[in-house]
Amino acid sequence: MSGVRVVGRYSFILNGRPTTVEAPPGYTLLETLRQILHLTGTKDGCSSGDCGACTVLLDGKAVHSCLTLISQVEGREVTTVEGLAGSKVVKSFAESGAVQCGYCTPGFVVAVEALLRANPNPSIEEVKEALRGNLCRCTGYVKILDAVKMAISD
Amino acid sequence: MTLEYRWVGKPLARRDAYEKASGAAVYSSDLFPENALYVVAVRSGLPHARIKSIDVSEALKHHGVVAVYTHRDIPNNRYGVFVKDRPVLCDDRVRYVGDPVALVAAETREEAEEAAPLVRVDYEPLPAVTDPLKAMGEDSPRIHEGGNICRRTRITYGDVETSFSKADVVVENTYTTAAQIHAYLETEAGISYIDERGRITVVAGGQSPYRDREEICHTLGLPREKVRVITPHVGGAFGGKDEITVQIHLALVTLKTGRPARMVWSREESNIAGVKRHPSIVRMKTAASADGVLLANQTEIIFDTGAYASLGPAVLDVAIENCNGPYRIPNIDIKATLVYTNNMVASAFRGFGSPQVIFAIESQMDQLAERLGLDPLEIRLKNVVRKGDYGVFRNKLEGSVGIDKCLESLRNHPLWRRRGEYKGVQNHEWIRRGVGVAAAVKGYTLGALPDRGSVALELNADGGFTVRASSTEIGQGIIQSLTQLAADLLACSPEKVRVILADTGETPDTSVTSASRQLFLSGNALRIAAEKMLDLMRDVLAKATGDPKTSFRFSDGHAHTMKGEAIPYSAIHSMMAEGGVATYVEGVYEVPRTTPIPGSLEIPHLFYMYGATLALVEVNLLTGFVSVLRVVSAVDAGRVVNRQTFTGQVEGAVAQGIGYALMENPVIENGMMRTLNFSTYLIPSIKDVPEIEVVAVEDGEESGPFGAKGVGEIGIVSVAPAIANALYDAVGVRMLSIPMTPEKVYWLIKHRR
Repeated sequence: MSGVRVVGRYSFILNGRPTTVEAPPGYTLLETLRQILHLTGTKDGCSSGDCGACTVLLDGKAVHSCLTLISQVEGREVTTVEGLAGSKVVKSFAESGAVQCGYCTPGFVVAVEALLRANPNPSIEEVKEALRGNLCRCTGYVKILDAVKMAISD
Repeated sequence: MTLEYRWVGKPLARRDAYEKASGAAVYSSDLFPENALYVVAVRSGLPHARIKSIDVSEALKHHGVVAVYTHRDIPNNRYGVFVKDRPVLCDDRVRYVGDPVALVAAETREEAEEAAPLVRVDYEPLPAVTDPLKAMGEDSPRIHEGGNICRRTRITYGDVETSFSKADVVVENTYTTAAQIHAYLETEAGISYIDERGRITVVAGGQSPYRDREEICHTLGLPREKVRVITPHVGGAFGGKDEITVQIHLALVTLKTGRPARMVWSREESNIAGVKRHPSIVRMKTAASADGVLLANQTEIIFDTGAYASLGPAVLDVAIENCNGPYRIPNIDIKATLVYTNNMVASAFRGFGSPQVIFAIESQMDQLAERLGLDPLEIRLKNVVRKGDYGVFRNKLEGSVGIDKCLESLRNHPLWRRRGEYKGVQNHEWIRRGVGVAAAVKGYTLGALPDRGSVALELNADGGFTVRASSTEIGQGIIQSLTQLAADLLACSPEKVRVILADTGETPDTSVTSASRQLFLSGNALRIAAEKMLDLMRDVLAKATGDPKTSFRFSDGHAHTMKGEAIPYSAIHSMMAEGGVATYVEGVYEVPRTTPIPGSLEIPHLFYMYGATLALVEVNLLTGFVSVLRVVSAVDAGRVVNRQTFTGQVEGAVAQGIGYALMENPVIENGMMRTLNFSTYLIPSIKDVPEIEVVAVEDGEESGPFGAKGVGEIGIVSVAPAIANALYDAVGVRMLSIPMTPEKVYWLIKHRR
């Protein structure tokens, strides 16, 4: 392998602000966010779309940023957990005891945000369906459900 | 000291929760130091082979590669807490697929990953020894020079054979349990750099910064003063980060290059090279009299520790200590073997050897009850230990013993009282329901091993306090617990308490964060530090006011004098500063312990956790699929410091127990790990975990801070047997092996008589 590295320029809206970033075209959105933009709230749990820790909003919908190439977000709108600071979902997770080690939490927060934007009053079954792709190893999900209930009732 | 419980027991939201939920909290894997080298390990890929030669020349030529290290770069190439049997980088041979042979340090991750396969290792493959029973045979190929028996012991009290001949009922079975992967969401990760004082500094996910520092110093031949280990927020640990993971490799690269370094294991690498729960074979023969009194228990325990001992010798001790359950049994005979194989390395995992043996004894208890026509809960209550009793090792149980109350609370629970009704619900003709119960016990603290922890306390200029301890925040909530304890001990608001954790350069040694005892250990050390601090404050106040030292009362961040004056703590700080009095104290707590019984390392503990689990399951006769509909977990908590944290610990432990019992099935074929990610190694999702009800039995532990005791592990211990017993209740098949996968359950149902 030679040392030549191809870099592309990508422009998109990140947490409400127009952003241009230089990244190798093979980089995922997750790698770009964490390694280049140093937005490390979005976590890397498996790099293969199995755990949901890297969930971000792409045009308002929850996606795995580890399965999204940076080139795919050109001209689109990305919201990471940092863009949800102060939101009722973040507060309800913090207050319900839904956070233990916390590594999965940003992914859950973003997934719940996406759910509530699409469906402000989901049933418990709909909540579980929406969060089935997010893994948590600490909480047993009991207090995560409490947090979602709190966010719904707020 | 009389204490007002103002904060202890309150369900305050955790202070680290908001920063974690908003993505602001920084974990080891979030650190990207400037100018850092990316470090990748070259792993063996073979379960067992002799290393004939290692050629790094091609890898070194690769673009961006700065260095490639091998065993030649390690001054003392063996580490390990109990047995120094594990190489930092393999020299003579590789003993499992994850064994590291070389380290590639490159400018970027891509370059390091590209160069790793260019390291040429010439191997002579050796026979892979992957069956623990075969590994124990005389003619088995040897994995270590001393043979394949890592540890073997026998502990006997009384006379089991005579009891068996006289007993009314004897139940005998062989139980097997699979390995379990910790599957924390943050893999093993860290960075290293040289700090402003010239120390090689490693920032990594871990559970014991001081012990990790010892291992770095030992292997790399460095003095302690030259090495610093910091543990920031850890994205899950559960015992899997109790020993070294990335720390020595990172320190080596920074030591050799002078540059920062970063190493983050991939999920696949974590599944291969991270430690596991020990797979086990437990043969158990248990005898009782006609009225259900336990007479004897004979147990043979075989734990597969994989390629290296890691914490296995202590895990085996905990298995031995708990294989008789929380019961009085006069005659016991335990043979236990920890065996090396070419499988993945096994070590600490929540429960630490207890879940395997409790699965056995608690399955035995239900079979005894059935044979004798007794209620499963009553036979347990008839035999449980109580405070002041002597345990199976003739050890007096002086700590709190809440197992009777845990079981009584389940006996009174509607799910147990009306279990016939619950069982009777049948939505489809191919669905059956059942209810099962199981009890749990596990020691907390390090048992008979020496265990001491220090906590430092400083009065700040603003009248607040800084608590310093090397405890690590692995999700369990130690930051919040220490905050609430400190607020009550020092009579101030929690906002005035600052907690700094886990930095060998900043915090005293509070020992390892393991064995469900950091609250107990650091809480007690904090209590001692707080007593010293208040004494110091009284001295200063007495000098300043002329009032007697004992006349001051502390509340709400103020000292109150006899005359009714309220002096803020900030003013006391000023008095200290002006008088040249140190504002810093340290509390040291030595955990009470006894001498180990012959044949053991750490048996007995003085302090035990107890618990009991009730499970309602639904079994699909057509598929063998078992779903858990409801769990009630009763936990002997001593005293709950933070109810939200407490229930969260138990709920999480129960969920891990459900995964262990039903789903988590690591496929290891001839030493090769086949379940490499979350799509093949399934852990419970939100759809797999039912309603979990946590019942706290708060009896108080006299030796604990505010009566608190350990709770971190106990919730997992009896989940699998409760589910196995519920499965039997539902469909009449006795499962002797976990995980209870649909295939196994279906086969048993199909072949039941």
